[in-house]
Amino acid sequence: MAEKLLRVEHITKHFAGVTALDDVSFSVDQGESMCLVGENGSGKSTMIKIISGVYTADSGDIFINGNHYKKLTPMESMHAGVQVIYQDFSLFPNLTVAENISISELLSTGKKMVNWKEVKELAQEGLDKIRVSIPLDAIAGTLSTADRQLIAITKAILADARLIIMDEPTTALTRREVEALFKIINDLNNQGVATIFVSHKLNEVRQISQRTVILRNGKKVLDQDAKDLDIKTIEYQMTGREINTSSIKYSKSDTKSAPLLKVENLHLLHGFFDLSFELYKNEVLGITGLLGSGRTELALSLFGQLPADSGKIYLEGKKIRIRNIFDATSRGFGYVPEDRIREGLFLPQSITDNIAVSIIDTLTTVSIFLDKKAKKQLSDNWIEKLNVKTPSGKLPAKSLSGGNQQRLVLAKWLAQNPKILILNGPTVGVDVGSKSEIHELVLTLARQGMGILMISDDIPELMQTCNRILLMRRGKIVNEFIREKTTEEELAKELVATDSNNH
Amino acid sequence: MFNKLIKSNEFLVFLIIITLSIVIGMINPAFFSVATIYDILRASNVYNLMAFGLLLVVILGGVDISFVAITAVASYGTHMAMLKLDYQGGIWLYFLIGTAIGLICGFLNGFLITRFKLPIFDLTLATQTMLYGFSLFFLGATANFDLPERMVGYYGKYLAITEDPFIGTTGLHISVLYVLAAGIFVWWLLKYTIIGRGIYAIGGNREVAKRSGFNINRITMIVFVIMGVLAAISGVTQSGFQRNFSPTLFIGQNLNVLASVILGGASITGGRGTVIGTFLGVILTQLINRALILTGIPVEWQQFVIGVLLIIFIAIPAIREERARKVGHTTELSEEQA
Amino acid sequence: MKKTTNKIITLLNDIKEKSAFDGQMVLLVGIFTVLMVFFTIMEDGFMTERTFSSMGFQIAEIGLLALAMMVSILIGGINLSINATANLGAVLAGYFLFKVFPPVDTGEIAQIFTQINFPAEGGNTTIYILIDILIPILVGILTGVINGYLVGYLSVPAILATLASLSLFTGISTGLTKGRTITGFPPNFELIGAKTISGIPIPFIIFLVMTVVTYFLLNHTTLGFKMKMLGTNPTASEFSGINNRAVIMQTYIYSGILSAIAGIIVMSRTMSAAYEYGSKTYLLFSILIAVLAGMTPGFGNVINVFISVLILQILSTGFHMVLLGVRGSSFFKDFSWGILLIIIFIFNYFVRGRKAQE
Repeated sequence: MAEKLLRVEHITKHFAGVTALDDVSFSVDQGESMCLVGENGSGKSTMIKIISGVYTADSGDIFINGNHYKKLTPMESMHAGVQVIYQDFSLFPNLTVAENISISELLSTGKKMVNWKEVKELAQEGLDKIRVSIPLDAIAGTLSTADRQLIAITKAILADARLIIMDEPTTALTRREVEALFKIINDLNNQGVATIFVSHKLNEVRQISQRTVILRNGKKVLDQDAKDLDIKTIEYQMTGREINTSSIKYSKSDTKSAPLLKVENLHLLHGFFDLSFELYKNEVLGITGLLGSGRTELALSLFGQLPADSGKIYLEGKKIRIRNIFDATSRGFGYVPEDRIREGLFLPQSITDNIAVSIIDTLTTVSIFLDKKAKKQLSDNWIEKLNVKTPSGKLPAKSLSGGNQQRLVLAKWLAQNPKILILNGPTVGVDVGSKSEIHELVLTLARQGMGILMISDDIPELMQTCNRILLMRRGKIVNEFIREKTTEEELAKELVATDSNNH
Repeated sequence: MFNKLIKSNEFLVFLIIITLSIVIGMINPAFFSVATIYDILRASNVYNLMAFGLLLVVILGGVDISFVAITAVASYGTHMAMLKLDYQGGIWLYFLIGTAIGLICGFLNGFLITRFKLPIFDLTLATQTMLYGFSLFFLGATANFDLPERMVGYYGKYLAITEDPFIGTTGLHISVLYVLAAGIFVWWLLKYTIIGRGIYAIGGNREVAKRSGFNINRITMIVFVIMGVLAAISGVTQSGFQRNFSPTLFIGQNLNVLASVILGGASITGGRGTVIGTFLGVILTQLINRALILTGIPVEWQQFVIGVLLIIFIAIPAIREERARKVGHTTELSEEQA
Repeated sequence: MKKTTNKIITLLNDIKEKSAFDGQMVLLVGIFTVLMVFFTIMEDGFMTERTFSSMGFQIAEIGLLALAMMVSILIGGINLSINATANLGAVLAGYFLFKVFPPVDTGEIAQIFTQINFPAEGGNTTIYILIDILIPILVGILTGVINGYLVGYLSVPAILATLASLSLFTGISTGLTKGRTITGFPPNFELIGAKTISGIPIPFIIFLVMTVVTYFLLNHTTLGFKMKMLGTNPTASEFSGINNRAVIMQTYIYSGILSAIAGIIVMSRTMSAAYEYGSKTYLLFSILIAVLAGMTPGFGNVINVFISVLILQILSTGFHMVLLGVRGSSFFKDFSWGILLIIIFIFNYFVRGRKAQE
């Protein structure tokens, strides 16, 4: 039997009291397409880092091509043919495609001079191997995410990769680009290059993998042929819970009264067209769609960051205009972003300040003078209410874990007592425990009267919280699902379906 | 390829230079003469030398403010030493010693920055203060006009001479050769050596540069040493021109040189910039200065006009960007729409 | 017994927090003390009222500029135009007087000198003095608006925007004065710059007052809070409902006002106005003070800035006295200041290293 390309056996890794990996073993064949699946905190990132030599396992063995490594270094890992493509693609935005592709090779040869002909030839060679064409002279920073990812893959190929690990590669790709990527992965597999596709997007996992390994809380819980898996099984294994939707206390939307929010013919150039929908009190309205569907643009438009070009918005029956974020927040909109580090938090500042920042103008004694006591009280209040795990509000926000950080962002908005809360991918990068707590919180808020827009591409999440789900494609709303009358499978199918124009 | 050339920032600056020259020429036809070219070159040579060095730092992603102080210390320090030895020879020895001093100063900057991981702007701020202070206190507080005998004629060392009714006798000064040499060297470094590509890489994405295997410390050190050397050469040259050595040479000029480098298309955030662009940026700056004089604007208002031009220069692209941002970001959607 | 100790510990902690105690401050206080001791030993005349008095007069200008620089760094920007603003304010005030009280000889002398011919007797000096204070402040606000517009509304990088505005403001000053110094201010004008109140120089009082005002602004108002959050993360700031543009605008206006006050003090002290006063050093030193005080976007302590200003002044006066007779003593101060900063940098490097290990 041919030697397996990669074998990890009984890998265990601890970090300051937390067990990240507990006796995990699996293998990857030459040219196999494997998916490594798990929630945040499952250990999949740690596993990747151990395979690529960035971390060293506490115990266990790694075999690459039959060679045994007890303590693997990044250099050794690379030389053995392991290449990791991270989400930032490791590119230089100011250099050309050719240079980006060839630069690592150049450096490793130790040459002092640059022969541009060689650089271009080398780059072209790489591109040819995956049968992709990108202009060699283009500046990397001007290319689309998909193209930049292809450059990263080309780099890996040039480095004679035998195993390419891709970390959440489809995060910023459109449907078409995802299909293109899958074709390339297939090509690579046929050429004998194995791939490990790390993802939490269940429908993609099923499409691309020959085998799926699921990690949960550091342990391997599943290792089998992907064909036999359905979404429910995968999800169950990932979370360890059988989410019995009948046991969820959904909020009952108040369709008898006038809608809380009514949107008519909303239009944003290069964003979305002619959108009309309603959001009722006590309702959790899901909005989903792939990248490029306009769902993010809609969220940002309602929040005032990308004000719509035309159309009408009615809040509680009254016509309003949202031209900037201030308009939105002053009317009672809140926005919980997907990229909380960039858009939601002030990491080096204290937790208290992070909570108080949006309503700071109300925490005053006289005109603009701060009421520090009120600020502290507010903060302590919300830390408790939302169960933010921290010994003190004075600590900086960066001291919190991912799930707690997201709770911090929620606290910031809840402190304002918003009428409408817009959640954009609220549980991305959040551990299982926090995720379900956040879902419960969302349902509680809805039950208390808030209107909630849940923008997400996480189908289980949508099914576990929403009353209705709107599907967007290419800037338009193409379908509406009533949760009670839909299944996850149906939703998943619709999500990735292409219309007659094959878009 | 040609398309890219047209759209490049350098070409834009070039066009501005041509336009401005024509405008000046129309107001004052005396402008269109060989003498003008020689004169402009002569004035810009010293700035070009400094600018080429600064360009490297800017591409790397930082801003060096101490290079002017290096020009002073290198030139004045050499001179003070030479005075003691009663040296009467030519300028070449000054270049030699001055360059050595510049090298040491550049090395000092580079060392402090790499060893202690200090931000470039802050550290060079400190070294600038220190160097000027050192120069003024330890070397001397006044300009010295006591030139070595064989150096007196340096300012007139021309490669080609011409007579001009307005400017008088002027010529293509020999220092243009230094600029040529420095320019070619820096251009070659940036385009054909791994170190040069490394400078761009670090400026583009420092983290990735490190991960890719570039030796950031070594590259940074090299950049600052080159900066120091070029600054020193510029300092000695300028001193030869003005026929005196000053401990406060070029003081306050660092922002002007930076402005020229930015005008030439380098990005203040790093990762972009070319030698040609910088050269054009310096020429343009000189041209504007001249334009102001020739158009008859009173001396006292020239600074004001420069200020207005600068504001316009930075405001216009900014306004354009603001508008573009409002009209709409592009998403994949727009591609699919097409 | 346990209750009391707990109470004491809580009290100490409270004081520690309220005084915004931090490591950098300890360092600065340490340097301050060392320098004071050093100069007292080196120079007999150092620890005298006269010395402190003269320091008190000189310190205000650079101190106010340092505060002006500080607020702009706090929001993540920088203000290179502070000195130009100070001078512009002074020049416009003087120019106003120059126009109102033109020199007697309208011949050649008027072309040469920018000499205000203020009547020796009579004339309501107070009004003109008040106007001369009002004009710089208005100038400070206007320059702040220009900077605030460029940086806040047009999103021009602060270093470029204030570089351009610095050129513009200097240009106006140069143009109006034709490069000359305006002299001949009304006699009582020196009240601000040269007099004392119960022995303390007025400029120092002004500096102290503005330091306290700035402290309150930054630590006890909503604006100060927003400034620090903006400096920490402009994107999150916008997404959290903070009006970034307004905050930037207000910050640069405040910076401009502080610069203008510095200009008033200079005007009053030197009884003159010039486009180039302090142009070679003041800007540089205000940045150096900010760096010494540990100012970074989103973080910074007014008290540290204040102490750093004191340190600079002590170095300046101290070396001047010690090296009296030695030519160029102020240059030695420059030299030592540069060295001091480098030492601080290196020190901070090691402190950071140890902190990271903890």
